[in-house]
Amino acid sequence: MKIYERLNKIDRRIIYAILFVVVTLPLIFPSVLKVTPMTPVENLFTAVDKTTDDKALILDCSYAPQIKAEVEPMAIAVLRHAFKTRKKILVLSLYVEMIGLATRALNQVVEEFNSVAETYEDSIIYGRDYVFLGWQPPPIVPMLGMGESISNIYVVDYYGNQTDTLLMMQRIRNYNDISILVALSGSRIPISWVSYAQNRYGLQVGVGCTAVSGADFYPYYQTGQFTGLMVGMKGAAEYEELVEANHGVKGRRVASEAMLSLTYAHLIIMLFIVIGNIGFFLHRRKK
Amino acid sequence: MNISTDPWVWIASILSIAILSFLYKENPFFRAAEHIFLGVANGYLVTFYWHRILMPILFRPLFQQGDLLLIVPFIVGMLYLTRFIPRVSWLVRIPIAIYMGYWTGVLIPATIQAQIIKQVQGTILTAPNFQSWNAGTSGIAWSVIVFIGVLCTLSYFYFSREHKGVIGFTSRIGIVFVMIGFGAAFGYTVMARISLLIGKLQYLLGDWLGIIK
Amino acid sequence: MKKRIPLILIFVAGLLGVISFVIPHPSYQVYDAWIRNDLLRVLSAFAVVLALGSLLRVHSDKIRRKRRNWQYSWLLLIAFAVSAIIGLFGGVAADGILPTTIGSFSYDIQTLYENIVIPLASSMFALLAFFMASAAYRAFRVRSMEATLLLVAAFIVMIGVLPLGYSISKHLPAFVQWILNVPNVAGQRGIVLGIALGVVATSLKIILGIERAWLGGGE
Repeated sequence: MKIYERLNKIDRRIIYAILFVVVTLPLIFPSVLKVTPMTPVENLFTAVDKTTDDKALILDCSYAPQIKAEVEPMAIAVLRHAFKTRKKILVLSLYVEMIGLATRALNQVVEEFNSVAETYEDSIIYGRDYVFLGWQPPPIVPMLGMGESISNIYVVDYYGNQTDTLLMMQRIRNYNDISILVALSGSRIPISWVSYAQNRYGLQVGVGCTAVSGADFYPYYQTGQFTGLMVGMKGAAEYEELVEANHGVKGRRVASEAMLSLTYAHLIIMLFIVIGNIGFFLHRRKK
Repeated sequence: MNISTDPWVWIASILSIAILSFLYKENPFFRAAEHIFLGVANGYLVTFYWHRILMPILFRPLFQQGDLLLIVPFIVGMLYLTRFIPRVSWLVRIPIAIYMGYWTGVLIPATIQAQIIKQVQGTILTAPNFQSWNAGTSGIAWSVIVFIGVLCTLSYFYFSREHKGVIGFTSRIGIVFVMIGFGAAFGYTVMARISLLIGKLQYLLGDWLGIIK
Repeated sequence: MKKRIPLILIFVAGLLGVISFVIPHPSYQVYDAWIRNDLLRVLSAFAVVLALGSLLRVHSDKIRRKRRNWQYSWLLLIAFAVSAIIGLFGGVAADGILPTTIGSFSYDIQTLYENIVIPLASSMFALLAFFMASAAYRAFRVRSMEATLLLVAAFIVMIGVLPLGYSISKHLPAFVQWILNVPNVAGQRGIVLGIALGVVATSLKIILGIERAWLGGGE
């Protein structure tokens, strides 16, 4: 077989095997790569940091299990940020199949903080420091309804408590008491938040999205409709870096651990594309 | 190596490998895992719709607290089920009309405001736009490039006239911007897909086999 | 009548949706809030009932007629029944009448979700990495100037967004940000504007009854 035929006909199972090895080895033999936060992530971090004591932030965990690997590290980083700096936080999901992931992220971070808390004041207390609103369909109901009254939309929270009896909800009534909403999603939900909630009520919206949507969301970031933007696992790693560097939060940084694997995988895919094109050009020249 | 002893981690890992076995070829384990996923996902759906929507928002207020106005959504909602009765299945159009009608109605002003007016505002050559780049005088150049790029991209997608003359020239510039945008999207997509694989391997090698600390 | 009533309803509902944006007065917003919070929420729940009913009907039919791979439909129905019983009687937060633990082994709905739904869903998408690598090798051919431009932009972004980019040159990440903020925004914004205009046009056509595909077939 001529060389260009070999280059054009590499078996797909060989490609799968090479990719598997290239991705797996850096996970088994890890190495720390310095992550440099970029401006869109810094803007989001700063906006969350600027939340004052009389306001809360909303974390919309509307990411499906399929994209958990990319977006869950963002949720965990934002929750660590909020709990460490004692920002009040409301957590919700817009779709039922995503509420379990919000539960998971919350449980993990609350456990992290409470396992090292020494006093009641240090602890993360439900109702005082955070409220898990849960889910109410369809998405337009909470998007527009929370502008008037959050408790009217989420009459009971995820655990079945009457929302208006919770301590935090005595002062957090509607979007006027919200500094920023951070929408974590794999679809166009952040655009819906901007279209409905920001249009009508002036709500500030920050976004964490999968890398697939990343390029599509830059027009909204450029107009200022998105205050900040985290894109993909790299965006999550940047936020993790900012939270640790600025507030000393130590916890497992899942996204940062993946950077070396991601780097090698990108290089190998670029190599596959180059090899395929070399074979293509040699074949064309031969003809 | 510190293999997990949690039975649920083993169940999750075996099911994950059943799905990943599709890489070799389609097989009964993959199909079985696929169907189990659909079944459990829908059971989860039913749980939440019953406990968080139907009971607290419809049945309890209507039948226990006497909020009779809820009879209207109850009856209209029940019309969905006429889909299963061929003679009156046309009634399913009524709840669809109400739901879809309201949704599309709300969508119109929202889309015009957020995706047309705001996006045009971000494109036109104004002092606030020049300053928004935080790049000094370079901001003017970037704004001009965006302005030209948007117009040329729109001319590329204008198919009501043949792409000749001025439109031909601008559409050729437009395709350059479109290709750069798609290239960026492709680069990010590669990162996305690899990230999902890394996440899966982190679970299998970390939580299950304990190879990753 | 079978088409006229739904067409009238979609027009009225659409009008109410548009009006809600232009009349912020509380006397109207009360009705708008009722439509959203009571009517639409209940309708969305019944739509799910319809979807589930259809799914169960399709798979029951498959079993009854012993169609190809009918055995897997049993798996689906059993998995659905077990998880639905655990969820409905065990409660959302394991607070129902059905006990959901045996010793230290728990099987509440959240546990089922975390250990069955999440791993299976994430595994399905993890497969895409392999397919994407294979497809990129096989199909990504630089046949034209446009394809070259796409490839170069993709390679710059792929390297520049990672820590490797910073190691190669301190200016590379900033250059990637410039590509994303300027030419990418220009190209994507043209597409966004086009799609938005299309959405508005289609929405108007649906509300005005010009677009009738949603009515389905039949009378």
